[in-house]
Amino acid sequence: MVPGLAVLGLALFSTCEKTDPPPAGPDNDDLTSIPYNPKPYTIVKPAHFPDIPVPSDNPLTVDGIQLGRRLFYDPILSADSTQACASCHLPQGSFTDNKAVSVGIDGIFGRRSSMSLLNIAYATNGLFWDGRSATLEDQALRPVEDPIEMHNTWANVVTKLKQHDSYPEYFRKAFGISSKKNITKELAAKAIAQFERILISSGSSKYDVYLQGDLDALDDDEKDGRSMFFDEGGPLGLPDAQCFHCHGGITLTGNQYFNNGLDSVAKLEDFKDKGRGDVSGNPYDFGKFRAPTLRNIALTGPYMHDGRFKTLNEVVAHYSQNGKGVINEDPFIRQVGKPILGSNPVQYSGLTPAQQQAVVKFLNTLTDTQFINNPDIRNPF
Amino acid sequence: MKNLIGAGMLAGIFLLSACNGTPDPALPPSSNFTVTFKARYDGQPLEKYKNYGYGSYPVLFNRFNTYLSDITLLKGAEEIRISDIEWVDFTPDLAPNNLAVDVPITFKNVPDGDYTGIRIGYGVRPDLNAKRPNNFASTHPLSRENEYWLGWDSYIFTKVEGKADLDNSGAFATSLVYHCGSDAVYRTFSFNTPITVQQGATATVTFDLKKFLTINGTLFDLSIPGNQLTSNDVGNVVVATILMDNFGNATTVNQ
Repeated sequence: MVPGLAVLGLALFSTCEKTDPPPAGPDNDDLTSIPYNPKPYTIVKPAHFPDIPVPSDNPLTVDGIQLGRRLFYDPILSADSTQACASCHLPQGSFTDNKAVSVGIDGIFGRRSSMSLLNIAYATNGLFWDGRSATLEDQALRPVEDPIEMHNTWANVVTKLKQHDSYPEYFRKAFGISSKKNITKELAAKAIAQFERILISSGSSKYDVYLQGDLDALDDDEKDGRSMFFDEGGPLGLPDAQCFHCHGGITLTGNQYFNNGLDSVAKLEDFKDKGRGDVSGNPYDFGKFRAPTLRNIALTGPYMHDGRFKTLNEVVAHYSQNGKGVINEDPFIRQVGKPILGSNPVQYSGLTPAQQQAVVKFLNTLTDTQFINNPDIRNPF
Repeated sequence: MKNLIGAGMLAGIFLLSACNGTPDPALPPSSNFTVTFKARYDGQPLEKYKNYGYGSYPVLFNRFNTYLSDITLLKGAEEIRISDIEWVDFTPDLAPNNLAVDVPITFKNVPDGDYTGIRIGYGVRPDLNAKRPNNFASTHPLSRENEYWLGWDSYIFTKVEGKADLDNSGAFATSLVYHCGSDAVYRTFSFNTPITVQQGATATVTFDLKKFLTINGTLFDLSIPGNQLTSNDVGNVVVATILMDNFGNATTVNQ
């Protein structure tokens, strides 16, 4: 009687739990002889970094990440097997390709520069320059079928993965599938997303060392640049560079969307690349793009969504010109520098060449070579 | 062994209860209570980039968000705190259009009853403001790195951003940036609006940006350069103080 109640307890526990469907019957594609022992993976992050969001429907596992890493670096995803995710996102460029705009398998130039994937796990406000994907899992699906990128079909990719000598085993180990037939584009995307989520700063840049208490890690110019970047230079007589409003937080981006004053247009519809507006259809989003992380920014040039600036000096000089006055331009663009006394409406001075140089020097302290040289995130083939 | 059996029985009873959701008769009745936060300008739904009359010139807004602490229902001397901290963003980037979004927040298991009012903390209360975003899990409102300014060692309690067209040229050449933060400008306001909490009950809290910028009955003079932004001088919170002092006047509570 009493032991029966104990069993009832267990039974009720069981009814509250979701159960997996029964395994598929034996067939030629059967993978069940391969052990499935998922080991949870704990992301290593610097102590001063915030928690990393991981979706509950795609928990990180050692085998999931390894599968994602292989898929990321494998040109099997492209129609002619010449291009991988890593073709446009190379570790040495902090997972950019250092081109103004990326080129697909057919030699067609895209219209935008590849974005850094460093700390992309923190990007929960849309992905791509225009935010058209809400999640890394969705983002990973897109380039395969983009005609100016990999120009393939997922049906073709999945077929190749099913026929591959090794991938069925990797999918089994990563996701516990019982048959090659269970390989899907969604699982491939989940694996790629798992790998991308471990692309986290090492915490060893000069700026990180400074943040962790070594105030001598930055020289005086770099400290001045930091003060202007974070609008903390007032007591030192330094102007505000207003950078951190768009590039704030430990990852140096809030992943928000801004018109950062690049183009002068008579009306919003005149933006050549409408950016976020292409997705939302809202004219006031035309010309807005997601602010990228500035970590490793010295490694990711050329800059801006279209790679128009070759150097960080050009970038900072741009911001020092206080924008173009377009209606949806971010208000802070106008306020770079100090207010010019007597101006009405108030004009701002921008930054002097020396101040600009100090900001650039600070940006260079964000370089994290330990991250790009981490063997765990480099090409496994 | 007996202990194990007993534990199994207890687990069964507990899980049975968890599965069927039977309320505990010993607890007073409670309900989920939804408060919808709304943004307005002069009584109308706030719309990003819309030109609003502001004295002799127009203004527009592109961003409005705020932290709210210690949302507390009042019943005489009794107080029921229903939330420690919330972050309310009326102008999210990914909104489908320019209309400010309403932000409904459901507070769970609020004791049923008739309350005499509600108290709201505007900003992040000091003990929470002493922490930093990396002290919080990624889903917590205070994990938002972009809402923190090291210059103050503080969260940015409230962000209101926009532009003014002081010369009526259509250029909107004057940026308006009001980022209010630091313990010195944390404020609490109480509202004597009767609120009944019961199953299905809701309430609204409305913030009106025109009232936010109306100080003692007079529109904040945006033609004065110092009034166009909350100073980034760490020690200068003059404008932020004026605006946070006035936030209660910009708030309406209804049920």
